[in-house]
Amino acid sequence: MVKVVVQNNCGIQRSLAIAAAQVEGIAHQVAERSILLKGFLELWGEGETWEELEASINAFSEEVKQPWLQPSLSMKVVIDGWGRIINKQEQSEYHERLEFIPFQNPVKLTDPDIVFRLIIANCYSNHGMPDTVPKRMYFGREVGVGNRRVISQYALPKRVYLGPTSMDTEMAFVMCNQAKVRKGNFVFDPFAGTGSILVAAAHFGAVTLGADIDIRVLRDGKKDTSGRVADNWANFKTYGLQRPAGLIRADAHRPPFRETLHEILDAVVCDPPYGVRAGGRKSQSKPDLQVRNRATHITSTAPYSMGECLRDLLDISARLLRVGGRLVYFLPAALEVYKEEEVPRHPALRLIANSEQVLTTRYSRRLITMEKVLSYDREVAAAFHEEQGDPRMAIDSVPSIVYEPRQYVDGKLVVSEKPANRPKYRSKLC
Amino acid sequence: MKLLTHNMLSCHIKGVQNGFPFKIEPVKVEQIDADYDPDFLRHIYPRLEWKALCEAAATMGAPGLPEEVTEEMLQDDDFLRSFHHALLELVLEEGSLVCPETGRQFPVHKGVPNLLLNEDEN
Repeated sequence: MVKVVVQNNCGIQRSLAIAAAQVEGIAHQVAERSILLKGFLELWGEGETWEELEASINAFSEEVKQPWLQPSLSMKVVIDGWGRIINKQEQSEYHERLEFIPFQNPVKLTDPDIVFRLIIANCYSNHGMPDTVPKRMYFGREVGVGNRRVISQYALPKRVYLGPTSMDTEMAFVMCNQAKVRKGNFVFDPFAGTGSILVAAAHFGAVTLGADIDIRVLRDGKKDTSGRVADNWANFKTYGLQRPAGLIRADAHRPPFRETLHEILDAVVCDPPYGVRAGGRKSQSKPDLQVRNRATHITSTAPYSMGECLRDLLDISARLLRVGGRLVYFLPAALEVYKEEEVPRHPALRLIANSEQVLTTRYSRRLITMEKVLSYDREVAAAFHEEQGDPRMAIDSVPSIVYEPRQYVDGKLVVSEKPANRPKYRSKLC
Repeated sequence: MKLLTHNMLSCHIKGVQNGFPFKIEPVKVEQIDADYDPDFLRHIYPRLEWKALCEAAATMGAPGLPEEVTEEMLQDDDFLRSFHHALLELVLEEGSLVCPETGRQFPVHKGVPNLLLNEDEN
């Protein structure tokens, strides 16, 4: 049996899970692709106290242990603190405590043949976040390490071009894992922005396509301190990744794809604009407007409600994904108004996962994974949308819920139907 | 913008019936190496409008793609390489996409086509 040790990016949450992986090779392969996984251990023993741990390790099969305790194999023992940092002094104390194990191996700190891990979970506080790992110790031999090095390889602070809403690296990779992005896939992000999701998809060898309504973010980028242009293309270039097949300025509400285009994508991965940090915009219709000069005309846009935006997103995904392809996106959720039945649905898509990430005590977001299970039928889709009616969702009022003072009437929270009417910040270029 | 993207797009001005394919008016075309992946090409082929790709490639300075593609050709390395080159290595950096029905020009600047419609076109 192998113990799965999961590290969640908002602390340690339900972090230890037990799984059976019969073949070490499979564990290694799974670990290699995993972002949230710390690693796989062949578990030799566990316990709440040192006595229990020692008894448990001693009772574990000699047949399994012995081949790894030979002088021909170099090793190191890593002490992992979960929930708190273990200082140098404690580390050496724990190393000594493990001496009851009959190690014959020479110690080698860099690139040893075997890594043993002692995990000490002790989460007395998780800063108000729900659920922590129970206090317990685990010891075992590492059989696979999660691929967390990509997080530093693509770390945002080192990235040439980024913006305030760039998806953090870890999450971009998790999203691509949820979407099963692999080499030779074609992946689309309709809200590409600074392209961080596409960077992760390209890392896995996918051909990428991005769209955004904001041309300044998508195309123009900015100049860095030395006057060099930093834009989306520059990110792909500095990472040595395949340049996207296209970055297009387009409106997700009016996607500019030909009518006959179907089933071309393997994944749609995106973080739709919601208005907490960046509000959604769509184009608007003014048939009587006289556009004098099309080359210099600046098109005005209209607000794009989340319900409407998600209906468009699910529909274009249902149409353009191949059967078996996946849509992965973030849905914001305010704890007080989140309703599971409001998670948008589509007749061609099946919900695979709905995973909450707690952001503050009032606001979280949910990573939604859907898979296309039926071919797209325009009429069925239209009838479904008709039946669903107004796509507005209770969480369309998220900005006001997150930022406004709470109102209570008779001890009950009042959630306003409409976002508060505040003057909007507009940049000079608008 | 690569021709894979061009093959997917059409003019979506309200009322336009035949907005595909955009006519390309190239000002600056670049050739940028891309990873050659025969499986991707075979997977994507049936989803493309082949004639539009041939014409677009010719406009961008890479004529000579065959009019018809057979199953055998999709196993042939020479053919797949020319297909790959047309689909993923020709990049329209500057120029425009022109709607075949209305003649409306959508500018392509720094490799990014601006397909946002004006208020009177929606």
